Amino acid sequence: MMTNITNAKVQTAVAIRKLSKTYSAGSGGTLALSDIDLDIRGHEFVSVIGPSGCGKSTLLRIIGGLLPYDGAALVNGAPIEGPSPDISIVFQKSNLLPWLTTEANLNLGAQIRKKPITPADTSRMIDLLGLKGFEKNHPHQLSGGMQQRVSLGQALIVRPSILLLDEPFGALDALTRDRLNIELLRIWEEARQTVFLVTHSITEAIFLSDRVVVMSPRPGRIIEDVRIDLPRPRAVKETRADPRFSRYVNQLSELMGVV
Amino acid sequence: MSEKIRNVVDPVLFLIVLGLLWEWSVRFFRIKPYLFPTLSDVFAVLWNERVSMWNQGLITLLEVVVGFAAATVGGVIIALAIFFVPTVRRTVYPMITAMQSIPKVALAPLMVVWFGYGLSAKFVMAFLFAVFPIIIATLGGLAGTPQNLVEHFRALNASGWETIWRLRIPSALPSFIDGCKIAIPLAMIGAVVGEFIGSQNGLGYVILVSSSTAQTAQMFAALITIAVLSWALFLLMELISKLVWWRAV
Repeated sequence: MMTNITNAKVQTAVAIRKLSKTYSAGSGGTLALSDIDLDIRGHEFVSVIGPSGCGKSTLLRIIGGLLPYDGAALVNGAPIEGPSPDISIVFQKSNLLPWLTTEANLNLGAQIRKKPITPADTSRMIDLLGLKGFEKNHPHQLSGGMQQRVSLGQALIVRPSILLLDEPFGALDALTRDRLNIELLRIWEEARQTVFLVTHSITEAIFLSDRVVVMSPRPGRIIEDVRIDLPRPRAVKETRADPRFSRYVNQLSELMGVV
Repeated sequence: MSEKIRNVVDPVLFLIVLGLLWEWSVRFFRIKPYLFPTLSDVFAVLWNERVSMWNQGLITLLEVVVGFAAATVGGVIIALAIFFVPTVRRTVYPMITAMQSIPKVALAPLMVVWFGYGLSAKFVMAFLFAVFPIIIATLGGLAGTPQNLVEHFRALNASGWETIWRLRIPSALPSFIDGCKIAIPLAMIGAVVGEFIGSQNGLGYVILVSSSTAQTAQMFAALITIAVLSWALFLLMELISKLVWWRAV
């Protein structure tokens, strides 16, 4: 079966078949994910939503090569056996080292992965993320939103083909969150990485994504895969005013059991 | 008065009040000088014996600095080994914690047997007193590295050495410095205890000689010198700890 999907889905950025995950804690272990099938095409923006503890972050960590799993999971055609150089991850909690400046933190990921970058790359990232004037600041001198910009920059500077975002803006206030969502879209329109976003927010998922995957409470299964047919480029006001937007909100809220 | 000025003035005033209290009560109660000398007598000894006090102090200082430096290097290496090598954690770590309960004062005669009356026995004593808090503090710092950063380094495919060098060690530095602050006065105790057991010089030796000849003022002079040296070393550690400013953020 493994060779089967390898041949069939080479252009698929992420291909997952019959994936399950058991945490071996206590007697017998807890089933966190069960029978997951998921394909993400190259350059696609896919979000996953689901109740707390449904295993969506676990799924992201499996794709990121950080957790062992049962079943088949391929990234760019190769079975996941560990962290891939094609993938960058941004987590909710800041990944920045407190003793490094913004610049040094931006470069850190590339240095560790031994990917050559030039000072021009760094200053381009500083411009792109609106960090000008904060190059020599340390993380504690930055707001939460600024810190996540730097984390995002560190992830993007190595030009990953796949970006995994684990509630990257979850700890920010609504206004900052909206602003960063718009910037994320702008950056994505330009580079078109494959994005896998884990979020709690239905509106955020709809606003950003080509597809929204809905997961059930533990053990997490995919209960719906909703294609978001909203024109791009998207803008907060226009996109949210689109009647389809509120239909998607209603549909997803129902699936989540909110209404 | 601003807080900065008071931070200097208050302790100085307090010391002066204590000193005056000392001087007057000894005079008022007519306490015999060999029991409790007046502060002015102690200062007189400090001034008259300043050259020899300075030289003896330098010897003790050398013992403290060498023993402490060895404890720093040794303590960090031992802590790294305990943290990263499971076998060392299972074998060496419990043994070190168990040995910690042996009073190190009781080891001083043994050190004289092993290393003689020279400086090396005092280096070892200062080392023995100072090394334990450094090991424990460094271990705490290494273990206290934020888990999300460790995972981030894993996601970046960082090698083991890179994770140690770029993440674990800088994370552990604030805690390590705290350990050093505890260890510095302990190294002083170790050196002085070493001098008690067998030596021909150093401030511990001065105290011992003063005791056997009932020169109590000289004993106090040596004690004050020890206190001032310890305090200066601690201040130095405070200054160094400012370099790892990220402790507070």
